[in-house]
Amino acid sequence: MHEMSLALEILSICERELEKLPETRVTALGVEVGAFSGVDADSLQFCLEVMMSDRFDGVRCEVVREPGEAACPTCDNRFEVMQAPFECPECGGLARGLSGGQGLQLSYLEVE
Amino acid sequence: MSAERVEVKEKVLSANDQIAAEARAQLVGHGVFSVNIISSPGSGKTTLLERTVDLLKPSLRLGVVAGDVQTRNDAERLERHGIPVQAIETGGGCHLNARQVSESLASLDLAQTDLLFIENVGNLVCPSSFDLGESLKVVLMSVTEGEDKPLKYPAAFRRASVLVITKVDLLPHLEFSTQTAIDNALSINPDLTVFSTSSYTGEGLESWTEWLTGQVSACKQGS
Repeated sequence: MHEMSLALEILSICERELEKLPETRVTALGVEVGAFSGVDADSLQFCLEVMMSDRFDGVRCEVVREPGEAACPTCDNRFEVMQAPFECPECGGLARGLSGGQGLQLSYLEVE
Repeated sequence: MSAERVEVKEKVLSANDQIAAEARAQLVGHGVFSVNIISSPGSGKTTLLERTVDLLKPSLRLGVVAGDVQTRNDAERLERHGIPVQAIETGGGCHLNARQVSESLASLDLAQTDLLFIENVGNLVCPSSFDLGESLKVVLMSVTEGEDKPLKYPAAFRRASVLVITKVDLLPHLEFSTQTAIDNALSINPDLTVFSTSSYTGEGLESWTEWLTGQVSACKQGS
């Protein structure tokens, strides 16, 4: 359960961004969570809402899960995956390994 | 007033990653090969390290950073093997972070270290998100844990370079297929190097320590 410490990091990135944007109010923020990042999107959503609403009244937190991509060894089809095993939707082949879906980033702030 | 969207696109762990990069530069600069050891609680991290230290101590200069939520128990066990150990008590934290490790490095004589083990907090989820500046991650999985563990906790297996299966002496008492477990791990990360070990009987420890010794030599040549 490291989502609370991640929410704290996100808050400190928000604070740094706000230093560049004086006299604005944060109304929303967006976070991208890789499906294979080891971060639970629902927990992060909860932690963000608790922490952010304390600092930014009425803020909306949008947490989006980003898929990874696997390549089928049988038919070369590339397809998005959210969880293992990586079964090809075209031919049922099992892909090994994946790219992407590992990251965790604060993608945007909405301010007014 | 109308709302305006500001693109940020900053990695959430950029502050941790920056400290980890500095720690990595420091370790590489001293020619230290470092291993971040990750597993569930009770997979046998400390026992594997005790055996490994006994086998490698005659030929390599070793050091350990041992993380635990509470107590210095693991660090004390390892200190009895006559090597420098730094303990990190996270006080509730479920993983080590780069700042904690970086502070521990200051208390170790890196110029007199060939191989540094960082024993993470027992947890197969949270530690995998935090770069500590290590050369590579090693994930442990004991044969009592279930063959599908790599599928349930993919991030740890995806980010590790090595899988050490532990407690294989217990296999006669279990319905555990080592091959299925390895196949599951390779489906997440086909590049894993795999060792099957028993810290109790010593099975597999020779291959594991030979591999470590080879990595230390390669690290020295690269620095």
